[in-house]
Amino acid sequence: MIDLSFTLNGAPVSQRVEDRTSLADLVREGHGLTGTHVGCEHGACGACTVLVDGEPARSCIVLAAMCEGRAVTTAEGLVDDPVMAELRRQFHDKHALQCGFCTPAMMISARDIIARHGAAAPATIRKELAGQICRCTGYAPIVAAIAAAGAALNPSSDAAAAAPHVAATAAGASDAS
Amino acid sequence: MASPTSDGAPGWIGARLKRKEDERFLYAAGRYVADVRLPGLKDVAFVRSDVAHGRLLGVTKPEGADVFTLADLGPLNDLVAGPEIAEFRTSLYPPLAGDKVRFVGQPVAAVIAATRAEAEDIAAEVLVETEELGAVTDAVAALAPDAPRLHEAWADNAFIAAPVIAGDQDALAAAPVVVRRRLKMNRQATVSLEGRGVVAHYDRRYGELIVHLSTQGAHVMRRGLAEVLGLAENRIRVIAPDVGGGFGGKNRLTPEEIAVCAMALKTGQPLRWIEDRREHLIASLHAREHTYEIALHAEADGTIIGMSGDVYIDAGAYALWPTGAFMEASMAARNLTGPYKARALNLQTYTVATNKAPMGPYRGVARPGACFAIERMVDELAAELGMDPIEIRRRNLITEADLPMRTVGGLSLDTGHYPAALDMACEMIGVDKVRARQKAGEADGRVIGLGIAVYTEQSGHGTSEWMKRKARVVPGHESANVRMHPDGTVDIAVGIQNHGQGLETTLSQIAATELGLHPDAINVRYGDTATTPFGFGTFASRSIVFSGGAVAKGCREVAAKARRIGAALLQVSADDVRIEAGEIVGPAGSVSLAEVARAATLRPEFLPEGEDALLETTVSYEPADSAGVFSYGAHAVVVAVEPLTGAVDLLDYVVAEDCGTVINPLIVDGQIVGGVAQGIGTALYEEIPFDPELGQPLATTFGDYMVPCASEIPDIRIGHLVTPARVTEYGVKGMGEGGAIAPPAAVGNALADAFRQSRAQFLETPFTPRRVSDAVAAADGEGAR
Amino acid sequence: MRPAPFAFARPDGLADALSRLGADDDAMPIAGGQSLLVLLGLRLAGAETLVDVTRIPELCGAREADGAVVFGAATTHAMIEDGKVPDPSRGLMRRVAGRIAYRAVRNRGTIGGSLALSDPAADWCPVLIALGATYDIVSAGGARQVAAEDFADGAYSTVLEPGELIRSITVPVLQEGTRWGHAKHARKTGAFAESIAVVVKRPDGVRAALGATGSHAVLLPSVAEAVASGGDVAAAARADIAMADPDADAYRARCHLATILNAAREVCA
Repeated sequence: MIDLSFTLNGAPVSQRVEDRTSLADLVREGHGLTGTHVGCEHGACGACTVLVDGEPARSCIVLAAMCEGRAVTTAEGLVDDPVMAELRRQFHDKHALQCGFCTPAMMISARDIIARHGAAAPATIRKELAGQICRCTGYAPIVAAIAAAGAALNPSSDAAAAAPHVAATAAGASDAS
Repeated sequence: MASPTSDGAPGWIGARLKRKEDERFLYAAGRYVADVRLPGLKDVAFVRSDVAHGRLLGVTKPEGADVFTLADLGPLNDLVAGPEIAEFRTSLYPPLAGDKVRFVGQPVAAVIAATRAEAEDIAAEVLVETEELGAVTDAVAALAPDAPRLHEAWADNAFIAAPVIAGDQDALAAAPVVVRRRLKMNRQATVSLEGRGVVAHYDRRYGELIVHLSTQGAHVMRRGLAEVLGLAENRIRVIAPDVGGGFGGKNRLTPEEIAVCAMALKTGQPLRWIEDRREHLIASLHAREHTYEIALHAEADGTIIGMSGDVYIDAGAYALWPTGAFMEASMAARNLTGPYKARALNLQTYTVATNKAPMGPYRGVARPGACFAIERMVDELAAELGMDPIEIRRRNLITEADLPMRTVGGLSLDTGHYPAALDMACEMIGVDKVRARQKAGEADGRVIGLGIAVYTEQSGHGTSEWMKRKARVVPGHESANVRMHPDGTVDIAVGIQNHGQGLETTLSQIAATELGLHPDAINVRYGDTATTPFGFGTFASRSIVFSGGAVAKGCREVAAKARRIGAALLQVSADDVRIEAGEIVGPAGSVSLAEVARAATLRPEFLPEGEDALLETTVSYEPADSAGVFSYGAHAVVVAVEPLTGAVDLLDYVVAEDCGTVINPLIVDGQIVGGVAQGIGTALYEEIPFDPELGQPLATTFGDYMVPCASEIPDIRIGHLVTPARVTEYGVKGMGEGGAIAPPAAVGNALADAFRQSRAQFLETPFTPRRVSDAVAAADGEGAR
Repeated sequence: MRPAPFAFARPDGLADALSRLGADDDAMPIAGGQSLLVLLGLRLAGAETLVDVTRIPELCGAREADGAVVFGAATTHAMIEDGKVPDPSRGLMRRVAGRIAYRAVRNRGTIGGSLALSDPAADWCPVLIALGATYDIVSAGGARQVAAEDFADGAYSTVLEPGELIRSITVPVLQEGTRWGHAKHARKTGAFAESIAVVVKRPDGVRAALGATGSHAVLLPSVAEAVASGGDVAAAARADIAMADPDADAYRARCHLATILNAAREVCA
């Protein structure tokens, strides 16, 4: 066991954890924050993505013990975040979720994309979303929702004017390359 | 939004309503099996076979550890699975291995500990002794007389071999053109993002086993658990909370689930098992593995006569309850003539046991393989005859004038305009523009190809069709309980499951239409055997047809009674009132549904003479014709291929489809795009290969098993045709699977088109860079080694 | 899928880390852990003690020094991708960083950790070879310098001795007029590479390297020569591939040829 002091969704926490405990298990089993979903346990599906010091991290391949002194934010800790509010609107509007299992982490990654790229073009969003698996939607609605949220949150940027509010059925060449 | 539809459909039918189920997920408040918390909950880990085939000699448990073997679970009843056909050879799939292990990953023992990590520590200490036997890894070779036998009592390794012979055999034999190919669709996993999961505990309140299960059909799973555990059905409650994707993979009862329930009963402890991804890839049900050694018979002008040959289904080691993988062979064979006017079939099908995880249903069930086979063969025929792939399809497609018709495979195609879908797809993809671009060539050396595939999707089939398949469980109806509360709001309980399909929304739209209410006034409940009427669950593209029909029927009954009560309150005849926007409207006045509901519940003195209290009913529903209604569509795709590396990029992908009347276009489009993405996974990425000698699965993590991401899936453009069904409520057809059916065929055809000069062969999915590169090199005369 | 038990140590500085690593053969350094924790979780690897090196000042950040940039071994891929550290490579390292796995992994994975694991498909090895980097390796007993091309000696195998740690990576600054080309082929975005080729053309010479071989990344002398002289790159590539990845099957050889040609094309564009 090892001592651990960190901030969880803004609140200081001091506890002892087993050295091998993952951050995912810590927040889910230790703190009941079940919005962090575990989809592969080897860092490849993205469903467990949380923020560590504001940066997305795969909580299944981060040890709780590594988070000493860090600020950990889960989806539950972002409920009042304005970017997440816009993403919720757009995900709902574009039908960017089906079973909901990937959704909280998908939105955390989307928030990070908007933070780094502003009103990002769909091609950029698709590249940045690599490694976030959604098995239901086929991604196009997610990409459209992030593009729309990015544009709405960055109204002055040129990209915002150009960012298409693509519905799943809208015309548009592939940008999968 | 008073009248949301513009095309004349009633009420909320056709409304692009945003989903009611979104909110909890958007706030990270969905509740899946792994999120269930119970006091004293312990975790289970399984010890699994690390050999593909062997005699189980012994299991040594670490001292003091809580470890269960099959003998420790008992007594359990045999759970006989598979179709009810005399020739079908059964193979009991024990929850933990008995005398033999038959695939790598088969559960051998189960460990209980305070945490999953501790359970895995103990599992690593359990010693499993096996005497290794030869592994059977190829469904064709498995039938050789000297192949090692999985089930010793069987004469060979086939679960069943069955011919499908129909139509004009003389024409087949006399065909002037016969194109023969061997096609293979390889094995893959279903990969719901949430794996399987079960939390089981014995509850003394009602003396029942409460099972939280990630499943597509709680009621049917309860039936299976009751049989194997020897419990009365009213002593088991199965709760399916939010389910993180199913796609067919959660529509079978699996050994781990049974074992955890048995251990919870034995120990009296709340137990949890959450499948991890490696377990999912090696030991959850597998899908798709078909081999076709077939010939397409045609006239010299390209008119298709029919198909002959052999179809091999690699079904894995066991049959999963209830039905195993045993609709695969007949569905594949019966769909092998596709949407074409073929006259004859002469096929031998083999459903074969191999040392692999059992095969189960996955979105599209058998039809992605059949569509791949026929649609690739049509293009091969076109190439053979020097015809255009689009023209040869136009020549052979079943037309509106032919419908309804019974195909040579025995499918009762109902309504549609198949050539119109083909035309629409060609128009959308811009065939001429693509051909011009091909001619011009690419500056970067990539090669462009255009591929088309047309498919039909049987949906909403009921009793007659499932009886034909000799199913052990015949999903011939669906149920709904409709209950209006004293304030006029409505709860609807249904026996289907909603794990992404948006059925809380679409069933609300149907109920709102029939009850004259806003969908917000409707609450749809499902996934709990204690609170919902019996139903079969969500699979086979059946829920909107069956459950939608049941909801419509039940709501109409409640509405009729509400009209009678409302008419009495208005002192007019029931014939003179209508239900509209939450009111019973008479010639000179109206009364709210809430007033009516109050009279029916809290204030019975206002009920008319002879009218029972309550606005509640439970109904069951089956369409007027249970042979099924057929959605259909045409997919067109443009690929760019790097010839050296074999990297395939999808430049454009279009779908022209018809699923009859659309309840909610937002959700229909979502299902199409999601299905196509999974189909692209089958076409290009997803595969679980096996070491041919040792039977070891070679894709056991997402490092080796490629699931496409946003960077791999293009935007999918969709065009709609609407030809309502004749036998369903509102003319709906099921459509959940269609998107996944055509992509392997369309992508394969596009690759063949790209390399039509060299005639490189694209006959095996997934078209990984390696397969594509090797095919191109082989056609160019370089050894692919 | 949980790892077997281990102890997690937070050393008090570099000396403490080195003494812990030197004292215990079963102690392993861990930085981002983005590969190691996967291997531990799958129980494909085991460790008694993991020594966290991410808080050691000498391993963090990057600085410009004497015509080179010195990267602390714990510099994350994302810091390089985002240009939060100086870039000696005229954009090459930023591009490479941005193509490693996925963003959330790049936020935690480190350049030193990637090199030390020496996965044959790792992204940095061929790039740093082509850039002529050197690695500063320390142990309780002292320090030594190893050239990038001499570091790995096989798949998952390097010249690192027990108790040794990569402290920093020194990359010479590319001069004006230098061009580079980089090509990577993988089954999908973020997947392990099937082939990686890097060509760096300086005014005074060309270096080319190939990664994702069956063993470790290596220099491609014939390709370098062909690029420098305007010769037949394809022929040179075929000759080099036979040496660089002798066990490559026909498909992998084609992948190597394709990435080498693409990298060379980018240099010459």
